[in-house]
Amino acid sequence: MGIDRQKDGMEIAELKAELEVLHSASFGWALNCCRRDRAEAEEVLQTVYLKILEGKACFRGEASLKTWLFAVIRKTAIGEHRKNLLRKLRWSDGSEAATTLVSPLEQPGVAFEKSETQALFQNALKSLPRRQREALHLVFYQDLSLSEAAEVMGISIGSARQHYDRGKKHLREFLGQTESAYGIGWRGKENPRAV
Amino acid sequence: MELVGEEKRIHALFSEARLADEQNTPRFAGVWNRAQSQTMRPQRAFKLSFVAATALLVCALVSLAWWSQRGQRNQNNAVVASVPSITTVGPSSVVQPAKGSEPAPLTRRNFSNRSRVLKLAARRQVVQLAAARKSLRDAKAIESWKSPTATLLVSSSDELLKSLPQLNQTVQELKSFLPNQPQ
Repeated sequence: MGIDRQKDGMEIAELKAELEVLHSASFGWALNCCRRDRAEAEEVLQTVYLKILEGKACFRGEASLKTWLFAVIRKTAIGEHRKNLLRKLRWSDGSEAATTLVSPLEQPGVAFEKSETQALFQNALKSLPRRQREALHLVFYQDLSLSEAAEVMGISIGSARQHYDRGKKHLREFLGQTESAYGIGWRGKENPRAV
Repeated sequence: MELVGEEKRIHALFSEARLADEQNTPRFAGVWNRAQSQTMRPQRAFKLSFVAATALLVCALVSLAWWSQRGQRNQNNAVVASVPSITTVGPSSVVQPAKGSEPAPLTRRNFSNRSRVLKLAARRQVVQLAAARKSLRDAKAIESWKSPTATLLVSSSDELLKSLPQLNQTVQELKSFLPNQPQ
């Protein structure tokens, strides 16, 4: 039923193949949108695929598939986050019990984040405002251009550039502060040809 | 984009994170199949939130209607209470059903409708009567009104001043009108 709605867009089988190629990057982006909560990221990705299957999210070829998919993931993650907040407000006792059931140490990927530099880096990223974190992730992690990042974030390229620059500055400051404590200095010069 | 200095460092950190994420990425087939199985699940005819919102709306409308009706009734009661001689007018004097016509079967609804009509007509009559009485009282009050300074205009020589000498009056009488004349 939902599949029929994809008439004017890409065929579902073709779309599925494309999504499979982008799956890893999509999961990385979903992780970023969910503040590195694996379970939530997986749920968001599943919801996005469901939306695509039901035709609620329809790719019309107006942008590249990657930027379209990332925009859908971003919106879905924001919606899910809002829903979870409401759920937590309503059932605060139940959710607390549920969160205590799954120890964060049991989650895969936690062992990796325990590596000192990555832990510092992830902390620095978490301390950034959402837009700045998104801009940095899209440029450095997903290798998108600033215009593509702006498209995903639904903002102008000027705003995206501002978030990118501010995010970089904050990250540099944070990492500089934390690493100087360990005696590691890595300040470099600005890239004048960025973007 | 060419990366320099700390950008390279940031890029390296992000690449490291990406590698770790790729190793822990859930299988595409698994996520896709779960999503696909959700589409197969029969959906509820209507959402609970929609039902709750509709129920709330209906409740609000009903209470609003009840409240407005109650307010109107109170207003009417107040009007009736303000008229003192309400007992003089009965509903029987207002609406008289046609004698020849066959009375309709007196169902509960008909009865309530008729009684409502009678009450309304009686109230209207009472209001009209009260208005007529009030206007009559006002007219009487205007008629009997006297200026508070009217007494100042009355004097003892009013008769003299208001009367005119006649042609056939005697000279002596006429002379009496003249001032400073010895009598």
